[in-house]
Amino acid sequence: MGKRVAICAVSQIKMDSDYWYMRFQNMLLPCLESIVEQTGVTFDLEKGIRDIITNSDDVFDARTISNNGVTDVVGAHFRGEEKMAQEGINGLGYAMASILSGHDDVILFMGHCKESQTENRLMNTNLAFDPFYTRPLGLDFLNASAFQAREYMKKSGVTDEHLAKVVVRSRKNAKKNPNAIESKQVTLKEVMKSPLLADPIRQLHQWPVTDWAFGMLLCCEERAKEFTDNPVWLTGFGNCMDSFFLGDKDLTSNFSLKKASERAYKMAGIKDPKRDFDVVELKDLFAYQLPMWAEGVGIVDENKGGEWIDGDGPDKQNVNLSGGMLSGSPLLLGGVARTIECVLQLRGEAGKRQVKGAKRAIAQGTYGAAGQHQAVVILEK
Amino acid sequence: MAEYFGVKVEDIFNTMQERFRPEGAQGVDASFGYDITGEGKWKLTVRDEKMTIEQTGDLSGCAVVTVTDGETFVGVNIGKVDGMSAFSSGKFKAEGDLGALGKTAKMFRKFVPLKKEMSIRDYLMDMFGTVASRFKAGAAEGVDVVFAFDLGGEYGGKWSVIIKDKTCRVIDRIEGKPTVKLEFMDAKDYVDFSLGKIDAQSLLAAGRAAVAGEINLALKWAEFFDKYVDPMGSGEKEQELLVLKKTISVEQRYATGPVMGKFLNGLKDKKIIGLKCSGCGKIMLPAVEVCADCRVRASEWVEVGPKGQVRYMEYVYYASPDPLTGETRETPYGMLNILLDGCKGNETFAHLVRRDQIDRIQNGWNEASGTRVRPVWSKNRTGSIHDIEYFEIDE
Amino acid sequence: MAHRKKNRNVGIVGVGQTKYSSHREDVNQPEMIHEAVSLALENAGIGLNDIDCIVHGNMELFEMVFQPDLWHVIGTGAYGKSQYRITTGGTVGATIACAADNLVASGMYDIVMAIGFEKLQEGHTTGGITNMADPLWFRHLQTGALTGTKAYDMIREFGEERANRAAMMYRIIMDKHAGLNPNAHRSFGLEFDQMGDLIKNSPKLVGDLKLIDMCSQSDGACAVIFMSEEKAKQLSMKPVWIRDHVTVHREEIFHLFGYDEKYPITMTHTLAAERLFKRNGIAKPLEYFDVFEMYDPASWWAVDWIRDFFLLKGDEHLRLVENKDIMIDGKMPINPSGGVIGSNPIGATALVRVAEAAMQIRGDAGKHQIPRPVNHALASGFGGTMWTVLMMLEKELNW
Repeated sequence: MGKRVAICAVSQIKMDSDYWYMRFQNMLLPCLESIVEQTGVTFDLEKGIRDIITNSDDVFDARTISNNGVTDVVGAHFRGEEKMAQEGINGLGYAMASILSGHDDVILFMGHCKESQTENRLMNTNLAFDPFYTRPLGLDFLNASAFQAREYMKKSGVTDEHLAKVVVRSRKNAKKNPNAIESKQVTLKEVMKSPLLADPIRQLHQWPVTDWAFGMLLCCEERAKEFTDNPVWLTGFGNCMDSFFLGDKDLTSNFSLKKASERAYKMAGIKDPKRDFDVVELKDLFAYQLPMWAEGVGIVDENKGGEWIDGDGPDKQNVNLSGGMLSGSPLLLGGVARTIECVLQLRGEAGKRQVKGAKRAIAQGTYGAAGQHQAVVILEK
Repeated sequence: MAEYFGVKVEDIFNTMQERFRPEGAQGVDASFGYDITGEGKWKLTVRDEKMTIEQTGDLSGCAVVTVTDGETFVGVNIGKVDGMSAFSSGKFKAEGDLGALGKTAKMFRKFVPLKKEMSIRDYLMDMFGTVASRFKAGAAEGVDVVFAFDLGGEYGGKWSVIIKDKTCRVIDRIEGKPTVKLEFMDAKDYVDFSLGKIDAQSLLAAGRAAVAGEINLALKWAEFFDKYVDPMGSGEKEQELLVLKKTISVEQRYATGPVMGKFLNGLKDKKIIGLKCSGCGKIMLPAVEVCADCRVRASEWVEVGPKGQVRYMEYVYYASPDPLTGETRETPYGMLNILLDGCKGNETFAHLVRRDQIDRIQNGWNEASGTRVRPVWSKNRTGSIHDIEYFEIDE
Repeated sequence: MAHRKKNRNVGIVGVGQTKYSSHREDVNQPEMIHEAVSLALENAGIGLNDIDCIVHGNMELFEMVFQPDLWHVIGTGAYGKSQYRITTGGTVGATIACAADNLVASGMYDIVMAIGFEKLQEGHTTGGITNMADPLWFRHLQTGALTGTKAYDMIREFGEERANRAAMMYRIIMDKHAGLNPNAHRSFGLEFDQMGDLIKNSPKLVGDLKLIDMCSQSDGACAVIFMSEEKAKQLSMKPVWIRDHVTVHREEIFHLFGYDEKYPITMTHTLAAERLFKRNGIAKPLEYFDVFEMYDPASWWAVDWIRDFFLLKGDEHLRLVENKDIMIDGKMPINPSGGVIGSNPIGATALVRVAEAAMQIRGDAGKHQIPRPVNHALASGFGGTMWTVLMMLEKELNW
């Protein structure tokens, strides 16, 4: 393809476990204002934003056509607006397509999710299951993941202690990330004593309830300099869908993640994922997913997840220096949060967690039971 | 009595007792009339989760009377006619309380017609009668053949199926020399064979059937024709298609935020406050964070109203359930777009009007004012839309 | 310039539609979707393995399934493929057509299948639509997509008799068209001489909006396959080309038309049409297009929107209806399929407009084929609070 798409600016509000005093609209508006301020972009029909991609979900917003509620605060008055109704990271893929197709040269991408609004976010995920069989069985994204966790841990030599290490490390890293959710530092022991939610997943292995919103400005290569001196290039994207029923798939195969990575690597010309990335951000909704997705994207050898944690692999490969999902991000937006973190790293704006001279990064996002759908983006300086 | 789709009108009424679901009739205490043109009148009475049905000329005292013809009535009941369509086109009318009619749907299990028996002769007529409609013209490019059928036994007969120029016709005789001829000693075997109850191999082996002419062509029958579908199905009651009924509710806690929250707090104090855009001067009601047109944050609060004039009223005859409570409003009702004093152009405010005044509301247009209205405040105001019960005429 | 030359050409090579009906208890959601998918593949003459990417769209709260593409993979065939889920409102079908066009044109995928679906019998449609309004205010007041505003507006402009007759004329024409389309949900067999009766007797919903005016609530799915020019050449196919598309949204509003001529309301439809026609050099849209598949949720809106979309003045739109110019054999055929009034599986509806437009250009619409050559087609989607999508389709690559 040989064409790149520029990410000219990113914005976000700090992640919080309960923005009870804000509507989605209040959360999004500062993100829009920040993008306009950073880039000077306008909504001029010829030169500015003509089309907007949003990211939200009807079930989480409890609102049919959830984007209808935010049209005004994303600037979509008499503009095009299309909603990614899946994990937000896929919006990067679609923005890339909209720009490479020639249909648009500037795309505003904005999203929100308020996990605190619903009585129970796992109840929402239960609604992803078919109403006749798996939904009455009570499956949700937590217990479906527990099946996967158990199989994966067996296969890759990952223990309860390894998972505790992942959690402790996440909280330690999150202290250096001003956008992460505030949480107290925990010890290995505390993690290993936290209650089991769905064996082997413990309470502290789970991502925290998070309210969050973001904004992002993307544009075609030729016009990037109009909006920023410091563009980050989106050079690869891939996604893939796996089977629905848990019994129809090998839960530890990383089938969809491997395919998604392959597609993104091919587009970006990545030859050796173990060496090619300076920064890696993975959507670890549950602690076991950090090593599992690391195997899936190929930065760790197959079945070596346990050894990787023992050998400080996550630190050596700069994985989730932000704290990752375990330190905040809504289910719907985890992949975008990971992407934004990579953008900050590549722009050199990651503060205390900055990786010096970071040139290339990978972010991953997933939705569905036990990683049914996976997506990967490649970003370069 | 006439049959529609193989079912008589009285079949529907006569099976009501056995189809009755007491759990669906909880709290119902009413009579329902059915006036089926040319068929008669029936009265259904439901009380204490019990029902009676009688054929009677007297439908007085019914909460609602359904007026329709036999075909529509049967069709709707067995799912052959779409109820909503019949209602829209006026073929199915309800006189009285429409809401009451809706309740009858929950009180009965669906009517499932019992099929009559079909004779061998019926089957043969149906099979050859549907050959032309089952013909796949696209598969018969350049085909010019005649299939002859010579069926023996009491109900037997002769038929020819002629395919030429991508068309197909059937005649009830055999003429000249057909391309292929299928003989069955007993027509019943042919019926069973066609229904898949017996295989050709065993018939041929038993000498009960024979093929003459181009044998290979006989095997190609299925390429030219869709499979014959038994109108009797399995011969038993039609399978009831199960549906899973569920009400899905997940509790929500909607934030009001600083802007909407301030607006709602204003209502507590009987004040209607809007936000004015610093760019275009538009007033937003209810107050929202941003002027959509100008894409700027609005920050100038202005108190407006509380009186105003009606610019337009929606006269609503059909109410959907309120998704927030599951309750359905009484109809008809009026929803107003009110231009509160201090607002201009299209800066209207939406709310309800006192129900007994809906027929007196006049809309405004250009310079002409609509009916003047004022809010009726609720005694217990909590900071919600219901702090205003409704608007009423300001007189 | 915001709109650049398309990176590469994209066309439609396959269309699959289920029968639209309110009686699809015989299939569950993925099964129903699979019917459309199989038909589209058969229609294109390719296999599921040839599809690179699938775009799925509907509205979650109509059936109360969260991210339904996950379950629907059983019927969509997205297993192992790239897959997006992009939604808007009633516009969603058109949105996924636009998305499929962008995805192929970008060079990222050669063959993309867009799938729109809804099974409205599995929920409460009007309740579901009401749920789109702000929970703190308008949700307490709205009645789904039902509104008498357009009838009121047209009656004020053209008088009671003329407005009512035009709306009902439109309705009867759609019914006649639906009668020609074997997939259509509703076809009552209405005749023009019933006009007076229907105006008088059809039950009223809101104001002068009557039950007969309003679209149906249907179950159904539609799948459309998009392919790049290179791939189509390789496979010796002749696609129907997607020339361009435009989307115009706006914020939640309580007034659909103005109350004061000093403060006119800008219609999204007009804006969309102006933008699309201007950048494609279409000076006289009414003359240029051979068919318009319009998202017509109700007959009143439909008549009025003809004016918006074709940028007409005065009563030109009424005359098009009154003179039956919009009939299948008329000079500007609108919805030979019977339109949305005939069938409305919401998540699929706007994609059906695109599919039907493509079928007309290919000349394989069967009994509802326009009896004249069709070279240029326009399709629209409608949803949200007056959101609109327009797509232009062409027979030849000569623009």
